[in-house]
Amino acid sequence: MQTNLIDAIKDTAEGREADAILRTCVHCGFCTATCPTYQLLGDELDGPRGRIYLIKQMLEGQPVSEKTQLHLDRCLTCRSCETTCPSGVKYHRLLDIGRKFLNERVPRPLGQRVVRGLLQEALPRPWIFRPAVAAGQMLRPLLPQALADKVPTAAPGQSQGWPEKSAHPRRMLALAGCVQPGLAPNTNAATARLLDRLGITLFEAPEAGCCGALRFHLDAQEAALADMRRNVDAWWPHVESTQGPGVEAIVMTASGCGAHVKEYGLLLRHDPAYAAKAERISALTKDVSEILAAEAERLKPLLAAKAHPPLKLAFHSPCTLQHGQKIKGVVEELLSAAGCELAPVADPHLCCGSAGTYSILQPDLSRQLRDNKLAALSAGAPKLIVTANIGCQTHLQSGSALPVRHWVEIIEERI
Amino acid sequence: MAFVNDVRFAADKRAILARLRAVLPPGALLADEEELRPYECDGLTAYRALPLLVALPQTEAEVQAVLRACHDLKVPVVPRGAATGLSGGAMPHEDGVVLSLARFRKILRIDPLARTAIVQPGVRNLAVSEAAAPFGLYYAPDPSSQIACTIGGNVAENSGGVHCLKYGLTVHNVLKVRGFTVEGEAVEFGAAGLDAAGLDLLAVINGSEGLLAVITEVTVKLTPKPELAQVVLAYFDDVQKAGNAVADVIAAGIIPGGLEMMDKPATHAVEPYVKAGYDLEAEAVLLCESDGTPAEVAEEIERMKAVLEKSGATSLVVSRDEAERLRFWAGRKAAFPAVGRITPDYLCMDGTIPRKRLAEMLEAIADLSAKYGLRCANVFHAGDGNLHPLIMYDANQPGELERATAFGAEILELSVRLGGTVTGEHGVGVEKIDVMAAQFTAAEIEAFHRLKAAFDEKGLLNPGKGVPTLARCREYLQTRAGIAPSSVSSDAAPRF
Amino acid sequence: MDAVLKEWADRVRDAAERQGKLRIRGGGSKDFYGGAPAGETFDTAGFRGIVAYEPTELVVVARAGTPLAELEAALAEQGQCLPFEPPHFGYPAVLGATAGSGATVGGMVAAGLSGPRRATVGAVRDYVLGVRLIDGRGELLAFGGQVMKNVAGYDVPRLMAGSLGTLGLIAEVSLKVLPLPVAVRTLRFSIDEATALSRLNEWGGRPLPLAASVWHEGALTVRLAGARAAIEAAQAALGGEVVADDVAAAFWQSVREQTHPFFAGSEPLWRLSLASTTPPMGLGPQLIEWGGALRWLRGDQGAERMRAVAAQAGGHATLFRGSEALKAAAGAFQPLPPALLQIHRRLKAAFDPQGVFNPGRMYPDF
Ligand SMILES: Cc1cc2nc3c(=O)[nH]c(=O)nc-3n(C[C@H](O)[C@H](O)[C@H](O)COP(=O)(O)OP(=O)(O)OC[C@H]3O[C@@H](n4cnc5c(N)ncnc54)[C@H](O)[C@@H]3O)c2cc1C
Ligand code: SF4
Ligand code: SF4
Repeated sequence: MQTNLIDAIKDTAEGREADAILRTCVHCGFCTATCPTYQLLGDELDGPRGRIYLIKQMLEGQPVSEKTQLHLDRCLTCRSCETTCPSGVKYHRLLDIGRKFLNERVPRPLGQRVVRGLLQEALPRPWIFRPAVAAGQMLRPLLPQALADKVPTAAPGQSQGWPEKSAHPRRMLALAGCVQPGLAPNTNAATARLLDRLGITLFEAPEAGCCGALRFHLDAQEAALADMRRNVDAWWPHVESTQGPGVEAIVMTASGCGAHVKEYGLLLRHDPAYAAKAERISALTKDVSEILAAEAERLKPLLAAKAHPPLKLAFHSPCTLQHGQKIKGVVEELLSAAGCELAPVADPHLCCGSAGTYSILQPDLSRQLRDNKLAALSAGAPKLIVTANIGCQTHLQSGSALPVRHWVEIIEERI
Repeated sequence: MAFVNDVRFAADKRAILARLRAVLPPGALLADEEELRPYECDGLTAYRALPLLVALPQTEAEVQAVLRACHDLKVPVVPRGAATGLSGGAMPHEDGVVLSLARFRKILRIDPLARTAIVQPGVRNLAVSEAAAPFGLYYAPDPSSQIACTIGGNVAENSGGVHCLKYGLTVHNVLKVRGFTVEGEAVEFGAAGLDAAGLDLLAVINGSEGLLAVITEVTVKLTPKPELAQVVLAYFDDVQKAGNAVADVIAAGIIPGGLEMMDKPATHAVEPYVKAGYDLEAEAVLLCESDGTPAEVAEEIERMKAVLEKSGATSLVVSRDEAERLRFWAGRKAAFPAVGRITPDYLCMDGTIPRKRLAEMLEAIADLSAKYGLRCANVFHAGDGNLHPLIMYDANQPGELERATAFGAEILELSVRLGGTVTGEHGVGVEKIDVMAAQFTAAEIEAFHRLKAAFDEKGLLNPGKGVPTLARCREYLQTRAGIAPSSVSSDAAPRF
Repeated sequence: MDAVLKEWADRVRDAAERQGKLRIRGGGSKDFYGGAPAGETFDTAGFRGIVAYEPTELVVVARAGTPLAELEAALAEQGQCLPFEPPHFGYPAVLGATAGSGATVGGMVAAGLSGPRRATVGAVRDYVLGVRLIDGRGELLAFGGQVMKNVAGYDVPRLMAGSLGTLGLIAEVSLKVLPLPVAVRTLRFSIDEATALSRLNEWGGRPLPLAASVWHEGALTVRLAGARAAIEAAQAALGGEVVADDVAAAFWQSVREQTHPFFAGSEPLWRLSLASTTPPMGLGPQLIEWGGALRWLRGDQGAERMRAVAAQAGGHATLFRGSEALKAAAGAFQPLPPALLQIHRRLKAAFDPQGVFNPGRMYPDF
């Protein structure tokens, strides 16, 4: 597309990046077809092509208001559009740049600022979030409906804890994450037990915390970068270990975090102190499905060793897994290998509406997406729903009578 | 490049805004420039216009009310589907309202026994086939944009697809269209049976580019899925040989399920996206599909291979399974936007010529590419003789669009001289409005205007598109008279 | 411009000037169809011949007065055909016979009638690629052309199909043609109407090489056409009793040309075009074609009733053959709803402002 960015933007690194992205878009409209918000709202402005246009005109110096903000806020950042786009438009990067630029120009009303501020502060900090969940109270008076849906749903599945002692020569790091330890402690524990059986020791670096994705998408890109640097610092000693070889991988059990950590290299590339380290971290980062797929040779005999009753389940592939990390069919194959029957799910590319804090900030759209997704997931009468990201897991659980779990727990139970 | 619409109206934005506010629910009317800009063009970004308003109705009653209000106030109305159009058909009118049908996205009924689907116009083409799949049926016309384009838009453009040679265009696969005249009168064209009483207005609505009526419901025919389909990829070391092979296949009495072509620049653009495993060394690839019973397909594939080999194919690959077949087609279907990877902008031509002239045309395009200094990728509905040269340019470079347009005009004029037409399936819109003068006489153009007036006396539906004013025709012919026809000679086959 | 067409144009212009009416006539084989012809006879037989035919392009261009039989013979020589099997109604005994002895190409397009294979391959209109016509002002106009796809301007060529000459004088048409099927086979089943209808619709949803069907008096006759392998497979799937090739050919010809005994006699013949799934209607003797979508009925059940039944089934009823008196009373064609009628009137005025062509042939008021 033709672009005519204002000079002040054109000459910045981000401006150049945005311009290049805009110019790859040929306005074919393919992406609108798979965009969850366009499908619900039927307005060009609520689809990727329209959002690209809104960002373009803003960067071209046209007046911009809370109208543009509304349509950009409604974007789930699910990146379904990127999977669809034949031209390779890096939409989410453009959106990040656009949102940042927009926030500098269109201040949010006080109410929104408070909510966003609270989410920025509370969610990424386990020591605030965990007690809050336990009490189920702290945010409730402020966000009655949205959080009433969210707070009480700790994930099903009993945690059996981490393996007693695991000291294999092969070592991998895991990210504890911010909300997952509070809501689904078994996910990382199950992963650790599973990897232990495969001869790999998994451990967490206590200094690491939120991956930064939450704040990055809440108008707090600087704060997010600080989160990211802190994680790089926390992991680096294990990567470049002074005692023995470094870790083989940094394992992500929440695909939302995985997608973000895989972009550390990109996001920190202009920070001379961190660029190289961040790139290395991103390269080491793997979703747990990628790890298991690579270990399939050893995993399969373990799975075959035990007989299991047939289990029909429906898998929801989180956007951050299928669109963000472009991992497709891998989890499905692992589950099949574990003897599970996968129920067919219509429109598997669509987002469930969780999308980080979207369920809190856009409750109506989020609920519609969740209900549509649950209808699609339950159409094949599964016994269980599994997914690969803590956000999706709790969000789906809030509307479902079926248990919603992390798929890795199922695999672990079957060896 | 500004498109100058020479059909203008005295518009009173305040008055029409007030009328439409009264009939549309909140959130169904856009009026600020910030919100209107993203509606300024369709899939052809070279031409843009800012509308007065955008209306997003959700019911037929709302459509009717919008039309009545616009008709009363003499405000133009531009219907819009998914805006994937490539001729500017859904480009707004500066004095008018864009009437988006994007919220009409319900599949109202699938009748597997009667093999029909009744759908709202905003339903995506592919969604119809997906909904029909459990019954072993599908909707046959499959434009490459089928993931996104709407049935309403398909009817309005009489869209084709990669399987149209055997299964027909939109017009062959639609039984009935319900809609509203610009006056807000409900009308139905066609019937639940195979024909309707009176003149065949259904045939005219197909391809009417939103100039005759606003479509609000479509009954389409569904086709049983063939038991098996396989595609042969035939690679050539020469584009013209591939062009000739197309005519050879038809001459052998074979009507392939699909017969498409891509040249080297096109395969290079799509391969990174689809990873179909196309041979990137070949100058051109033909996709030739056979469908039917397994025995039938096996036999036909052998015949196809024999013909293609004889026509000089350097290698042949047959799809091994359904997934591979779909991947081979996915590359073809994503070809236009994938070209966005190698160029910021492109113009897609749509001339259609007799198949036997394909090689000649390809040679001419190569010459023109050199003459204008612009690259060109070729993607063809080869079996139909429908060319889609993608002229690559950079809109940020002054003068490039103008050069690309002139390049395109030469291709289209040549299409007419070779006995073809300026548009096979994308429609005239604003893009080809001037070059219509190369194909039709003034009397024919006038006949079109009269036909339009029979549906829309005041000329309010999508004005200034599809058929040029006579003044435009004269101007075009005068300008072109000064320019010598392209270097290519042709024995000026009559269109008739 | 061809001399003949110039002369034609002059005649039309002259008629328009003096408020004259012209009754366009090819072979006269369909004089019975539609409203009673009126006006001075305008014979098209003088403008005949195939102008261009390129089998490899699958296109033929023929002048309006070309005998349909001549065209079909030329195609057959190249192993091609008009797949929609247009009825001639009065097949000329001798090929190359002169005017008035058989259907013409122009008349075929203007009448818009298609034969047994229509349901699976499409109608005349689906094969019309281009026309040259003379409008009511005496202007010679060309629309469409010789290519498979063409969306430049409105689709006037297809609008001409079935227009009964009310919009213009068709001078020349270009048509898409197809290879003849490699093989055909006819099967017969003894089943009642309801069973036949449900089977036909069910079969229609399967990828079978169906190419015509007739149900009449307890017998369903089905024709398969296509690749040999496909026919073998279909026959195995469908069962039924094979009809000998020559007997079958004669049967399909008798349906196409309405020489089948069902069509004999002077009782009114109604043509009901409806949704193929319409259940049996119990309206009297019938012959069902097009997989259930076309039902021929004999008898005088009352035009209003017929039209109500047809409308109910999403279609329309034509008084195909009947006495002039009955036609005058009931009209040949299903009346149009007001909004459509208005468009028809305006279209007529657009193409033929003086109402020169075939007055009353389609509807009494134009
Ligand atoms: C990458 C790409 C590939 C393509 N491939 C093909 C192809 O293979 N074959 C092909 O034929 N086309 C193709 N197209 C063109 C385009 O997709 C088709 O023309 C399509 O039918 C347009 O549908 P739409 O819903 O996007 O309509 P729009 O672009 O929104 O509108 C098209 C026209 O239809 C009118 N219209 C839309 N909806 C209605 C309605 N409800 N009532 C009345 N008028 C209406 C508009 O006014 C406009 O004139 C392609 C386009 C792209 C971008
Ligand atoms: S699919 Fe890609 S190129 Fe097409 S409009 Fe969307 S972002 Fe732009
Ligand atoms: S990221 Fe998701 S919600 Fe946002 S524009 Fe793309 S597809 Fe739509």
